[in-house]
Amino acid sequence: MSAITSPIREPLVQGNKSYHDITVDLCTPTERTPTRAWVIAFIIAVSALTLGIVCILITIWVGIGTWNLNRTIGWGWDITNFVWWIGIGHAGTLISAILLLFRQKWRTGVNRAAEAMTIFAVMCAALFPAIHVGRIWIVFYFFPYPNTRGPLWPNFDSPLLWDLFAISTYFIVSLLFWYTGLIPDFATVRDRARGLRQKIYSYVAFGWTGSAKHWQRHESLSLILAGLATPLVLSVHTIVSFDFATSVIPGWHTTIFPPYFVAGAVFSGFAMVQTLMIITRKVLNLQDYITRAHIESMNKVILVTGTIVGVAYLTELFIAWYSGYVYEQFAFFNRALGPYWWAYFGMMTCNVLSPQLFWFKKIRRSITWTFFMAVFVNIGMWFERFVIIATTLARDYLPSSWSFYVPSMIEVGIFIGTLGIFFTFFLIFVRVAPVVAIAEIKHIVTSAGNQYVDDNRDHHEELVAETIQKVEQES
Amino acid sequence: MKAEQNGTWVGDKDLTQDPDFMEYSHKEFNEYLPLVDSLGDNRSIEVGASRRDFLKYLGFGLGAATIAAGCETPLKRAIPYVIKPDTIVPGVATYYASSIVNGGDFCSVLVKTREGRPIKVEGNDMSGVTKGGTSARAQAFVLSLYDTDRFRGPKKKEGDAFVDASWDDIDAAVKGKLNSRSQIRIVTGTVMSPTAQKSIDEFTAKYPNAKVISYDPISSAALLRANGTDFGIRAVPDYHFDKAKVVVGIQADFLGTWISPIEYAKDYVENRKIKDAHKPEMSRHFQIETYMSLTGSNADNRVQVKPSQVGSSIVYLYNAVAAKTGGSRVRGGDVPSEIAKALDKVAENLNAHRGESLVVCGTNNTAEQTLVNAINHLLGNYGHTLDFGAVNYMRKGDESELISLLHDMQEGKVDAVFVMGCNPAFDMPFGNTFAEALAGVDLSISTALTEDETTAACKYAAPAHHLLEAWGDAEPKKGHYGLIQPTIAPLFDSRQMEESMLVWAGSENLDVASEQPYYEYLKKSWEADLFPSSGESSFRAFWDKCLHNGVYEVAPTHAEITFSGDVNAAAGKVSVVKASEHEITFFETVAVGSGNSANNPWLNEMPDPVTRCAWGNYLAVPLTWNGVNAFDGLNGLEDGDLADLTIGENTERVPVIKQFGQMQGTVAIGLGFGRTKGGRAGTGVGVNVQKWLTTDDEGLMQYITSGAQVSDKQGKEEFYSAVQYHHTMGVKGIDKATQEVINADEAATVFNTYFGAVKQGPQGSLVERSIIRRANLADVEGFVHDLVHEREHHQHLNDQSIYAGYKELYEEGHHWGMHIDLNACTGCGACAVACIAENNVPVVGKEEVSRHHEMTWLRIDRYYYGDVENPSVVYQPMMCQHCDNAPCENVCPVNATNHSSEGLNQMAYNRCVGTRYCANNCPYKVRRFNWLDYTAADLWPINERGIDADADVPWAADNLTRMVLNPDVTVRARGVIEKCSFCVQRLQEGKLRAKTEMRSLRDADVKSACQTACPTGAITFGDTNNKKGDLNKKLSSPLNYIVLEEVNTDASVNYQARIINKDIDA
Repeated sequence: MSAITSPIREPLVQGNKSYHDITVDLCTPTERTPTRAWVIAFIIAVSALTLGIVCILITIWVGIGTWNLNRTIGWGWDITNFVWWIGIGHAGTLISAILLLFRQKWRTGVNRAAEAMTIFAVMCAALFPAIHVGRIWIVFYFFPYPNTRGPLWPNFDSPLLWDLFAISTYFIVSLLFWYTGLIPDFATVRDRARGLRQKIYSYVAFGWTGSAKHWQRHESLSLILAGLATPLVLSVHTIVSFDFATSVIPGWHTTIFPPYFVAGAVFSGFAMVQTLMIITRKVLNLQDYITRAHIESMNKVILVTGTIVGVAYLTELFIAWYSGYVYEQFAFFNRALGPYWWAYFGMMTCNVLSPQLFWFKKIRRSITWTFFMAVFVNIGMWFERFVIIATTLARDYLPSSWSFYVPSMIEVGIFIGTLGIFFTFFLIFVRVAPVVAIAEIKHIVTSAGNQYVDDNRDHHEELVAETIQKVEQES
Repeated sequence: MKAEQNGTWVGDKDLTQDPDFMEYSHKEFNEYLPLVDSLGDNRSIEVGASRRDFLKYLGFGLGAATIAAGCETPLKRAIPYVIKPDTIVPGVATYYASSIVNGGDFCSVLVKTREGRPIKVEGNDMSGVTKGGTSARAQAFVLSLYDTDRFRGPKKKEGDAFVDASWDDIDAAVKGKLNSRSQIRIVTGTVMSPTAQKSIDEFTAKYPNAKVISYDPISSAALLRANGTDFGIRAVPDYHFDKAKVVVGIQADFLGTWISPIEYAKDYVENRKIKDAHKPEMSRHFQIETYMSLTGSNADNRVQVKPSQVGSSIVYLYNAVAAKTGGSRVRGGDVPSEIAKALDKVAENLNAHRGESLVVCGTNNTAEQTLVNAINHLLGNYGHTLDFGAVNYMRKGDESELISLLHDMQEGKVDAVFVMGCNPAFDMPFGNTFAEALAGVDLSISTALTEDETTAACKYAAPAHHLLEAWGDAEPKKGHYGLIQPTIAPLFDSRQMEESMLVWAGSENLDVASEQPYYEYLKKSWEADLFPSSGESSFRAFWDKCLHNGVYEVAPTHAEITFSGDVNAAAGKVSVVKASEHEITFFETVAVGSGNSANNPWLNEMPDPVTRCAWGNYLAVPLTWNGVNAFDGLNGLEDGDLADLTIGENTERVPVIKQFGQMQGTVAIGLGFGRTKGGRAGTGVGVNVQKWLTTDDEGLMQYITSGAQVSDKQGKEEFYSAVQYHHTMGVKGIDKATQEVINADEAATVFNTYFGAVKQGPQGSLVERSIIRRANLADVEGFVHDLVHEREHHQHLNDQSIYAGYKELYEEGHHWGMHIDLNACTGCGACAVACIAENNVPVVGKEEVSRHHEMTWLRIDRYYYGDVENPSVVYQPMMCQHCDNAPCENVCPVNATNHSSEGLNQMAYNRCVGTRYCANNCPYKVRRFNWLDYTAADLWPINERGIDADADVPWAADNLTRMVLNPDVTVRARGVIEKCSFCVQRLQEGKLRAKTEMRSLRDADVKSACQTACPTGAITFGDTNNKKGDLNKKLSSPLNYIVLEEVNTDASVNYQARIINKDIDA
C-alpha cells in the first residue's frame, strides 16, 4: 500500500506537519521575544499612529478648516480613506464567511489574519465619519436614542445613517467571528504557557477544555456567525455606495454603484491580504501554511474582481454617453480628461490593466510579482475612491463653483495615522495570537492527505500495521 | 413564602430575613456600607470617618474645580433698560431716514436701528435721486461706524505719535495760531452739503486768506470744465438713461462707479427690462472702453479701444455723427479700420435715435468732453436725455489746485491746512511728497475718523462724527435735498466737522451752549433757505416732514442752454497717450472705490463683480485663444500669478488675472488699494497704483497711460483670493486646424494636452446646461418657443417620479418664492453686501477666501459667452433655491436641514453635526460650512491671521464690531452649515405685522434684504400662493426658467432669461 500524492491538488499544508509541529510552528511567534524587525516595524507604526492622533486633535481643536476642503468639495481625503479602509476590510469577511460556505478549505491558512485585518481596517474606517464632522462633540445625534427633544429622531432617509448601522453591525459580527475562532487557539497557547501568560490566556480562552460539547457549540456559533456575515459582505459596501448613489450629483448618482463597490472592496481587500501575508509568512516562517497555492487562489479572486471593476468603469462611460445627459457626460469626460486625469489613469492602470497579468500562471504564483501587484491594486483602489469623491465634486453642475483640492498636511497626517493604527494593531496581533488558525488547520491536515507522505507515511503504515495486528489478535 | 412582609421584599436578604440585614433595616439612617464588606480585612478607610472624609474630598474637589474653572471665564454683560426709552421697544426695529455721503457717493437711506444700534441701511424710495436703490458701499457703510480703528477722541502730535488731547487744546491751538492774515488751506472732497458749505463760508469770512481746495479722488474735473466752457454751467448734467434708446458709454462705468451709479443703474434698467416677451423692446448700449468694466459687461456691444486710441475714437465718432447730422467735421480721428467700422455702426445707431440717445464719457480730458458734448448736441439730446435742470452736485472738485497747494506748502507759504474728510496723501500720485510737505506746515488738522495717510502727517486729529452719529444735509442734485440725522449717540469723543469749523470761525450763529449746536444751526439754515419755498404752514411741520422723509425736493428749474464749445480746437487737444506695446488703464473698483472704504472688511471681501477677486487689486491682462485647447494669458501668465508691472521707473509686483474682454495690448488695474495706513483691514491690501497717475497740461489727473511693461511669471500669489475659477459658459473661438468656429470653452475645459487627438468636447456639456438662458433681442420669439418646449419636456420627465411629493400641501397657506430678472441685474453686488449685513455673515479674510472658504449666502455668478476676445457677460445672483424637493434635506443624517410648511428650506444650526453631505449634494453649491471659528463665538482658536490669540481681541470678537450684528439672526458656531434663509426673520416680522393689523399678508410686507438693496428691482420676493402679489405678476413671463429644472429639485427661485440687444453687424 503506497501513498500517492495527488498530481492535481497540492497539499494545503506543506512540510509533512504532524499536529505537534503545527502547534509548535504557530504558537512560537507568540512565545519568543520579538525580533529586531518586529521592534523596528512597531516603532514606525506607533510613530505614525502618534502623528495621526496629533493631527486628529489639531483637527478637533482648530476645526475642519485645517483641511483643504472647500465650499465645493465637502469631502476629500477623509471619505476617500473611509471607503478605502472599509473596502480593505472586505476580504476578511469574504474569506471567513463566503469561502466557508463554499467549502474552500484553503481559506484556513489566511482567514485568521484576514479577519484581524478586517477588524483593524474597520476601526480605521470608522474613525473618519466621526472626525470629519464639524462638531464631533454632538456626533451622538446620529444615534436613534430616546431623547427629550420631542423626541427628535435621526433622519432615516439619510444614507449616512444607514452607514452607521451597516458599519457597526459589520464590526460587531466580524469581531465576534474572529474571536470565536480564536478561543480554541488561545486555549492551545494557554496550555503551553506558564505564569502570567497562562493566566491571561486562560482568561481570554473562556475556559476552553476542548470537550466535544465545546466543539459542538463552537461549530454552531461559527456557522451562525458565518450566516450573519455572508449578507454583510454584500450589504456594507452596498450601503457605503449609497452615500454617493442616492445623491443628485452626476458621477455619484448611478445604480451601478452597489455591485461595483462590493467587487472593488473584495478586490482591494484581497490585495491587502496579499500584501500582509507575503510579509508575515516570510517573517514568521509560515511558508508551509501559507503556500504559493494560497497566493495563487487569492490572485484568482483579484483577477476576477479586478475585471468586474474594469467592466464597471467601462459601463459607467457607456451609460454616460448613452444617457445623453449632458451633466453625466461631462462628469465622465472630466474624470478622464479633466484636471484630475492622473488620478483616473492611475486608477485604470492599477485596477484594470495590472490584474490582467494574473492570467499568466507564472506571475500568479510569483511572490515578488504578487506583492507589487497587490500594492498597485491598493493604490489603484485608493485612486478610485478619490476619483469618485473629489473629482466629481470639483466640477459639478454650476461652473461658477468649480474648484480644486489638494490635501493639507493635516489630512495626509491623519491618513498616515490610520496606517499607523492598522499596523500597530496588526503587529500586536501577530505577537499575541496565532496568525494562522491552529485548530482549523489541524482539521485540514488529514483531509489534505498529508498522512500519506514521506515520514508520515512510515508512521502511518506502522500505525496501520499495528491496528491490523491488534484486530487480528482480538479476533 | 412566610419570609415575605406584606407580600413585598427588596432583595434576597430581605427574603431570607438575614439577621444582620434585619437589624440595619430597622434603623432610620442605615449605616450599612457594602463597601466595607468588600474591603474585607484590609480596612484602609476608617469606617467611622467615611462620611466626613467623603465630604472633605467633595469639598476640596468642588473648591478646586471652582478655582480652576473660575479663572478665565469671559464676562458677558447684558444690561437691561432701567428706564425704557419711549421710542425703543426691545425686539422692534426703528427706522430713521438719513443720507449717506461717503467720498463722492450719495445714497438716501433708512437706517434700521435695534435697541439704539444702527445695524442696517435700506434704500429710501422717497428720494428722487436714488429712488430706493442702494449700492454695495452704501450697504457696507454701517460697518464703518463700528470701525475699531476709529479715533477715540481728539489727538495731538507729540514727536511722531498722536497722544490724547482735548477739544479745548485743539480750539486753543487753532485760535492761537491763526489770524486774519494767515494763509489757510481747507482741503476737502466735494462738499455736497449746503449747510456744511455755509460753515466753511463763515470760516473763510473770518479768515480772508483761507482758500478751499476741493477735489475728487477719482476726478470728473474735465467734465465740469467742459460744461463750464461749452454751456456756461460748471456742473455734471442730469442724465436720463431711462429716456435713451441708444446709450453710448466711453470709458464711463456709470453702472458701477461713475458719479451716481445707483441713480443711473435704476434709470438705465428701465429700458432694459423686457416687459412683454411677445413684443420685446429694449435700449441698445454700446460701450467704448479698454478694460472690462461693470458697465461694459452689461453692454450689448463693446468697442475695444486702446488708451492711446480713446481720444481719436471720440474724434472719429464725432465726425461720423457730424457726417450724418450735418455738423462741421474736424481734423483727426485716425483709428484702425476695425474700430472705425464699429464706430460707424455706433454713429448709425445714434443717428437713428436723435433726441433719444445719450453719449457719456468718463475720461478726464476737457477736449474729449467737449467733443462728447458736441455729439450729444448734434444729436439733439440736450433737453431730452440730458439737461442742466437738476444738475448733479456729486462731483464739484478740481484736483489741479492740489498741485499748487503742494508747491505752496513746500515753499512754506502756507500757515495752516485743514483736511476735511479726504485723504490727498493717498489719493494723489504725489501723495508721499504731499505728506512730507504737510508735515512741515505749522498747523495741520485732519477731521478723519481714523488715522489715514494724510492724518498721520497732521499735527492734530480732530475726529468728526461718523455720519450715522451726525446731523447734516446734502444736495446731491440741484433741488434734491437729503437730511442726515444721527441714529446713535456719538460712540467716541468726536465732534461734528461743521461744528469744529464754526467753532474755529468763532461763529455767532452757532449756539455753543445748546445741547446739539450744529443741529440748531442746521435747522436755522433750512428755515432760512428751504422753508420759504416749501409752502408748509409752519417750519415745525416742514422740518418734521423733511426729517421723517429724509428728503426734500423742489421741482427742477428748466435751464436754457446753448452750445458754444470749440470742436476744432478740442479735436487738436484730445488725449494723446503715446501708443506703446502695453497701455494701462487705472480704474475705480466697485467695492472699495477710491480707497476710502479700504478699512471696511465687508467691501474688501466683496468679490469684484467682473474679476470675481476679493481682498486686493489684480492686474487684468488680456488673453488669447490658442486655437486648440487653452486661453493663453499675456506672457503666459495664469490667474493668481505674480508679475512685475513697470511703468517708468517704478516697478511693483502685482497678482494677475486673465481678463476676458481686456483688449490686446492693454492691461488694467484698480485704484484705491495698497493703503499704508488703512487700518486693521485695509493696510497692505493690494498694491498702490496711485503713484502712476499722471496729469495732463491742464493739471487734470489721467487714468490711462502707456509704456507699461509686464514681466512674465514671478511666482504665485500666496493667497489668490478669487471666488470663481471657471469664467465662461460657451465662448466661441476659431479652431486652428479647421478654421471653423468651435466651442472654445469646452475644448479648454475638459481636454488636456496629453490627449491631443481629442479636440472637441462633449458638445453642449457646458453651454447646454440649463443654468443661463439667454438670447438676442431679434431672436426672442424663437427662443421663447424653445424655452417653453424644453421646460415642458423637463416637467414631463419630472412628473414621472414614483414619489408623489408634497405639491398639494404647498398650494395652501404661504409658499415663498423669488423671481430674478437677469436683464435687470447689473451685477453691482449691493444685494450680496446687504445679505452679509442682514444675516451676520462672517468675514473670513484673504487667506480663507483663497481657500474657497468664503461664507457668502448670496453670490453673483458671472459668465462670459460669445466671442472669446470680446465676449458678452451675464450675471446671475445665486442663493439657496429653496427647493421643494431638496437634495440637501434627505441626506442629512440628523434632520438638521428640513422643509417648512411654507416651502422654506431651513437650517437648525443647533442640530447640525457638520457632515457636509448637504453641501455636496446641493446642485447650486450655495451651502456654506463654518470651517473655522469665523465669528469668534466659541472658545476655539480664531482664524484671524497675524493676531496674538492671547493678547489681541479678534476683529469679530470685538464688542464694537459686534454691535453691527443683527439680533434677529443667530451667529453661527464653528462646524455648522449655513445658507440663505430667504430672510426668514423678515418673513416672521411681516407675518406678525399682517396679523396684528388683522389682514392677509401682502408681498410688500415681506421683502428680503437682497430685494430691498437692489437698485434696479431685479429681485422680487413674495408668496407664490398670493395670486394678486407682485411676485405672481412676474412669474407669468414666458422668459422665466428654473435653474437645473431637469434635476427635479423643484426650486422656488425663477430666473428671467437674459436678453441683450446686440447689433450683430457691429
